[in-house]
Amino acid sequence: MEPNQIVVCRCEEVTLQELQETANSYQCSSRELKLRTRAGMGYCGGRTCRNLIDMVVKEVTGIAPGDAVPLSYQPPVRPVTFDLLGGKK
Amino acid sequence: MTDVLIVGAGPAGLSAGIACAQHGLQVNILDEFTLPGGRLLGQLHEEPDGSWWNGMAEAKRLVEQAKNLGVHIDCGVSVYDVAKTETGWRVSTTRGIIEVPKLLLATGAAETTIPLPDWTLPGVMSIGAAQVMTNVQRVKVGNRGIVIGVNVLSLAIARELQLAGIHVDRIVLPARNLLTKDSGNPEKVMQSMLRLAHLAPSTFIRLGSKLIKSEAMLKLALSFLPSSGIRMWGIPIQVKVAALEIFGDKQVEGVKIVKVNTKGEPVLGTEKVIPADFVCIAGGLSPLVELAAVAGCPFAYLPELGGHIPLHNERMQTPVAGLYVAGNITGIESAKVAAAQGTVAGLSIADEFGKLPEKKLLQTAMKKVEVVREHAVIQFDPYIEKGRRTISSMYAQQNTGA
Amino acid sequence: MTFGRIEQHPILGAMQNRKSLSFRFDGNTYMAYESETIAAALLANGVRTLRVHEEKGTPRGIYCNIGHCFECRVTVNGVQGKRACLTLVEEGMNVESSVQLPSPLKKGGEHR
Repeated sequence: MEPNQIVVCRCEEVTLQELQETANSYQCSSRELKLRTRAGMGYCGGRTCRNLIDMVVKEVTGIAPGDAVPLSYQPPVRPVTFDLLGGKK
Repeated sequence: MTDVLIVGAGPAGLSAGIACAQHGLQVNILDEFTLPGGRLLGQLHEEPDGSWWNGMAEAKRLVEQAKNLGVHIDCGVSVYDVAKTETGWRVSTTRGIIEVPKLLLATGAAETTIPLPDWTLPGVMSIGAAQVMTNVQRVKVGNRGIVIGVNVLSLAIARELQLAGIHVDRIVLPARNLLTKDSGNPEKVMQSMLRLAHLAPSTFIRLGSKLIKSEAMLKLALSFLPSSGIRMWGIPIQVKVAALEIFGDKQVEGVKIVKVNTKGEPVLGTEKVIPADFVCIAGGLSPLVELAAVAGCPFAYLPELGGHIPLHNERMQTPVAGLYVAGNITGIESAKVAAAQGTVAGLSIADEFGKLPEKKLLQTAMKKVEVVREHAVIQFDPYIEKGRRTISSMYAQQNTGA
Repeated sequence: MTFGRIEQHPILGAMQNRKSLSFRFDGNTYMAYESETIAAALLANGVRTLRVHEEKGTPRGIYCNIGHCFECRVTVNGVQGKRACLTLVEEGMNVESSVQLPSPLKKGGEHR
């Protein structure tokens, strides 16, 4: 099972290898890992892979998630149309 | 004028709505799914006494009770933002903005995934997806499938697939890597399986589960366990076999498996290809907390409860005024616990409105949560109670410290 | 390849008589029952691929089936991004999958 074949973020097709290598070179936080690889930044809003991103960071850097949520949530938490956000229809 | 808006029409949300409405409050429950009931809808298992827990029937009962009390349930509505106002909450939904004094988040849980090569192929789905397709939509996900991930959810749902006439070829572990350290470790998996021994008494008595309570005995038993595994309801559960990769051209065609030792390390030369027309991935559950985070609620990281949990007390209040939580958003437990928590949240909200003359009701409901937890047939984690105590003390500290 | 519907169930019983309806997916006409989601109706007809990844072109179908993963998003009567797992089929509905998009601005090389 090669890490370069394992897609972790389905929306952005980011592989375990990319995440592992990036976390290793930068010894970074979940947020930095997300920004560097785009994992968790796709259409689903990271709902599917955010725990996995935290897990990669924990395994590579040894830093477990703290009480604050590592990848902050921003509204809208569901993709919505501009019409809906603008209130015009 | 709505007094209480509840996000999520599962066991917690519906029970809370019922408790609020019984005390004269106007309640609106929103849910993204096409039907109310949440995770109850797909649940179907045999209780130790031989009766069936039919979640669909349970959901129907709760929905009818809520509707008879005048609770408005709107399905197919997504909430994408919540913001604090001077008088309560401004909730943005795909059907418009709702202003409401009290907000209860009963959004449940999301499934944790186990990524494998080619798991994006059509025909590969989460175990919960297969449950909903089978028991709610009544459409077959395939004819012959493999389940990857051995845990309470995967065993229960594999049995449900079997009941619907779908063949589950086997349940195996995911191959060990950075992301599957525990779910791919036979020793860890066996330990958690033994806590489920009461679900299939005869199988485990044969294994001598009583004898292997100790770590050393467990390791010994595991070393003698054949790779063909243990059967539950005739389905092979193979904790010494791991899925290496999923394969297929335009959709799933099978899974490449390998025998593993008691540590989960692959035994070279034992790779084998198993044909399958569907694959289910079962990585467990974690609380779906996005709206609590957007609402500004502080969190605690408690793996025994499933991950990041919004701080709350036994009355299901969060430190944020007018914001309540109930059900799996507060930690992964059974639907019965979620329902009991929902009742507490509902009564607690009624009390806040000054509409709960009988304070005893709230005390009784809080006690009931503990009793239901103690008697739960399915316990997701052995340290749930420890996690519950931690969150309560953190809530207390937060409130005295602030 | 179709797997079909589960008409009979030992515990949940038989499906009640349901109204059938027809809808279109990528130009083909399919039969569904009312109260079925688009994802369920298509699966019952043997259709599993609902879209392809915009950039890589890899086929995708349902993954979570409860609206969390957005893998099943399709265009319904011209509206993009509808979740097939949460949208009920309606008579005459026109459902379309998505296509692979060109990505001319993407840089080459190993890293994104």
